[in-house]
Amino acid sequence: MENNSLVTIERKIEKIIYQAALALDENNWADWFKLCDDSFFYSITSFSPEIGKDMTYFSGDKKELTGLMDMLPKHNTDHSPLRRHTSVYTIDISEDGKTAEAVSSVVIYQNLLDGINSHLDSGESRLFVVGKYHDKFLINDSLPKFVNRETKIDNRRLDKGSHWPL
Amino acid sequence: MDFIENNSDAQTNSDQSNISDKVAAKALDKGFIEEQSRIFKNTWIPVCHESELPDPYDFRTSSIGNENVIICRAPDGKVNALLNVCPHRGMLIERRPQGSFLEGQASGNPKRITCMFHAWQFDMRGNCVYVAREKEGYQDRFCKDDAGLRRLRCEVNYGGFVWVNMNDQPAIFLEEWAGAAFSAIESQICSAPLEVVHYHKEVVDTGYQQLMSQDFGSIAGDANAANLDYGHIVTRHGEVENNDPSQTSSFPSPESGQSTSVRLFPGFAFHLDGPTLNVATITPLNDSQVMIEHRGLAPKADSEEERKLRSKHYNAKFGPFRLQKMPEPNESVSGKVEENGLFIHYNNEWLRWMDQHPNGETRISEFPSSHSKTQGLSENGELSGPHIVVIGASHAGVAFVDKVRKNGFGGRLTVFDRQVGGPMERPPLSKAFLLGGGETVESKSLLRQKKWYKTNKIKLKTQSNVEAIDTKKKTITVSSGAVINYDNLVIASGAIPRELPDTHGMGNAFTLRQPSDANAIRQAANNSDTVVIIGGGYIGLEVAASLRKKGMAVTVIEAAKRILARVASEPLADRLTTLHEDNGVQVLTGVGVDSINAEDGIFDSVTLTSGQKIVGDMLITGIGVFPDSKLAAEAGIETQRKDGGAILVDETMKTSEEDVFAVGDVALRRDQSLAIESVHNAQETAAVAAAAVTGSIAPTLQTPWFWSDQYDVKLQIVGVVPVSDDDVYQVARTGKRDGAVSFWSYRGKELVAVEVVNDPATYMEARQCLDTGQSPDPEQISSLSFSPIDSGGARS
Ligand SMILES: Cc1cc2nc3c(=O)[nH]c(=O)nc-3n(C[C@H](O)[C@H](O)[C@H](O)COP(=O)(O)OP(=O)(O)OC[C@H]3O[C@@H](n4cnc5c(N)ncnc54)[C@H](O)[C@@H]3O)c2cc1C
Ligand code: FES
Repeated sequence: MENNSLVTIERKIEKIIYQAALALDENNWADWFKLCDDSFFYSITSFSPEIGKDMTYFSGDKKELTGLMDMLPKHNTDHSPLRRHTSVYTIDISEDGKTAEAVSSVVIYQNLLDGINSHLDSGESRLFVVGKYHDKFLINDSLPKFVNRETKIDNRRLDKGSHWPL
Repeated sequence: MDFIENNSDAQTNSDQSNISDKVAAKALDKGFIEEQSRIFKNTWIPVCHESELPDPYDFRTSSIGNENVIICRAPDGKVNALLNVCPHRGMLIERRPQGSFLEGQASGNPKRITCMFHAWQFDMRGNCVYVAREKEGYQDRFCKDDAGLRRLRCEVNYGGFVWVNMNDQPAIFLEEWAGAAFSAIESQICSAPLEVVHYHKEVVDTGYQQLMSQDFGSIAGDANAANLDYGHIVTRHGEVENNDPSQTSSFPSPESGQSTSVRLFPGFAFHLDGPTLNVATITPLNDSQVMIEHRGLAPKADSEEERKLRSKHYNAKFGPFRLQKMPEPNESVSGKVEENGLFIHYNNEWLRWMDQHPNGETRISEFPSSHSKTQGLSENGELSGPHIVVIGASHAGVAFVDKVRKNGFGGRLTVFDRQVGGPMERPPLSKAFLLGGGETVESKSLLRQKKWYKTNKIKLKTQSNVEAIDTKKKTITVSSGAVINYDNLVIASGAIPRELPDTHGMGNAFTLRQPSDANAIRQAANNSDTVVIIGGGYIGLEVAASLRKKGMAVTVIEAAKRILARVASEPLADRLTTLHEDNGVQVLTGVGVDSINAEDGIFDSVTLTSGQKIVGDMLITGIGVFPDSKLAAEAGIETQRKDGGAILVDETMKTSEEDVFAVGDVALRRDQSLAIESVHNAQETAAVAAAAVTGSIAPTLQTPWFWSDQYDVKLQIVGVVPVSDDDVYQVARTGKRDGAVSFWSYRGKELVAVEVVNDPATYMEARQCLDTGQSPDPEQISSLSFSPIDSGGARS
């Protein structure tokens, strides 16, 4: 591939990672899914040094995720918004230019809304989760789309309010 | 919050700041402390699963109440629980949640639990195996055997969970406490080895009682719930919600459609739900916060596909990112709780433990609390009458209590020893024991099995150092602070090995007396190729033979002209020297030690007075012992010297104090000049004292005897060889068997001692001669056709 188009694709990949962050911050699932290929698969994983194991805390394909989003209103939800800080660290585009992988760091803050006493608690921001996004992309006509996102979180202590994709 | 399914009320503490700080700040509530000490420190707690420490030396840490606990796997595969607190200055020892002690840490040796503060080291059973500057810093008043990590009651059961009880004497066995509840799921969780594959925890801003009431609220009205003893509750449902009802198989089948929950008081839930097992354990942090840990378990033998299937189900049901249903509008959870039979059942149990039950029902009197053992012995159970207290539970002390009971003594008997664990035989420690590979002292070397003490109504108090004797008040003071009255006191405190000053606090430098010393030597030997032994006495030579058998390069250094110079005849010593040299041991005699050298605090080499330097991986000093008589000397009981030496006794083993006796290695009869340190002497002096105390007939004294094993040579010695008496000479008698020989020591025509190599029959004859005062003719004894028994008589 030409160096120039490589740089362009890298930029596009960076851009959709950030667009995904904005969409997720707003719980705008429709916008997020637009950035994903139909074969998209999402998971939240973690390594537990306590038991010495890699674990999957959550996983689903696009269909399962859509089902989950539809069910959200019927379940208990902590309404405190989550805000991500994402930095793209590496992007590797395959030789043939059809796929790519990226690793980004992610730090998520929770801006309290609900609380035992929301009179006191609402408005406060707390660190919620730290981890990394391991993303995979398909590139069609120079347009990257997510096919896989593994959110590898460091937290093993996870309290309420976190059951949608991070 | 899947401890309580569908819990919509409990609030979560989303602030993920340091839990410990919060605990510290808020855990001071009086009610909370009482709940912790009455309930959580007296019941069985599932601290982790054995798969979290799969290999020897693996560990996991946990906490119960405000106590930190290490769970570790010993080399023999056994799981032990230890208090994670250094006995030196009470510092927390291990800070990692999980790991292995197999590799050395920056501040510690491999296979050791090492405190980073002053480098005390412990083995996987909590025995203290190394104390930096032990003798120097503690003026001999301290010995590492006192200093083990506190071992906690620990059992692995019910699907491989590790259960710990902080109370050393839980009146109720785990099986009795939990067996009925677990019978609902035992066949499923025990049918295949499981491992933990999911782990997460959460902290909820809810008090423990409130959390429990919410949990029971969530299953209120469950017609299938069964209330069991001890506050446990089992709920069963035919099938899991949304599962194919045609599936009737049960866990661990990945097609399982069943669901059963076992909720154990005070707050551990085992949920079997379809193909998954979720175990939720609570740890109250303070009066308004609880940590819940979730473990997901699956059969070890699962295929990747089966794992995925279980994982999906688990995450939907118990994972941190699961959805929680809103309660139906008419399904008000709170408010109903007080009428909820399940919560009432649970709460009644809580009231029993807290001693607040309206009918006066209580668990605390049923379950002796851990405090009771620090109380005095005035509550000494069924027995009353005079109280004999024995200091030291080794060969002499145990023989004494045995004899005194056999003589019909019906009063109270209490034996104190500072050692950890049941009293052990000492002789195997330098012999077979060193050849073993394990880390534990084999129970076959116990002087007596545990049951024996119970049967004979002997109160054995280990890890109890006697710190003072008051002969006026007739009391002793124990390390716990308890002051115990005695009617008779028997001091059987034995002896302490001499050390060379250079070796103080040196790593890989050992002496050998107690089981923990032997353990430490054995462990070090497993990681060493060469050993230097200072001292060519019996212990040094036995250790040399054992370690040589293990394949180590061994050098023995003896300052005297020959080995065994103080205890054996010259011909025997020559024979043994040859034996050791033939086996490849380097025996250096007539040469002193100039210095013992260390590198980075670890033994490196010995420089001899000849200038020669002997390098080795480890050092063992076996240069004799001195009587452990400090306690007696401080109490004004007569000893050889004002500041120590043996405790002087009369022919009934009575000391200078009426009512106080001394037996074994610590005692020396005034009419004798030589102390005999042997098992036989310990047993015989004990029998003499037991007779004196009970007014029974004193036993007939035997000629002293002793034995030693080196390689395949069995040595038996009867009588004491007067090594410094120039008038004494030896005659050798070759036995019938290959390598059999005995050395008969005479003074003039009088037989004084016989040393026998590999010839038990001759030993028996020699013993008979000495016990009956016969002296077979020294001119003829070398001839095998001459029978020593009827002197002069020829053998048939
Ligand atoms: C490695 C080894 C091999 C041996 N091999 C042989 C052999 O082959 N044949 C043979 O006949 N003999 C052998 N012996 C010698 C024999 O074991 C001793 O003579 C015997 O153990 C003496 O018994 P004891 O009860 O007098 O003293 P010890 O065995 O020394 O026991 C004294 C006990 O008192 C305890 N104690 C001391 N002070 C206090 C206190 N203040 N409070 C609480 N507890 C206290 C100590 O912890 C110890 O357990 C061997 C000894 C050793 C160490
Ligand atoms: S506190 Fe542990 S060695 Fe000193």
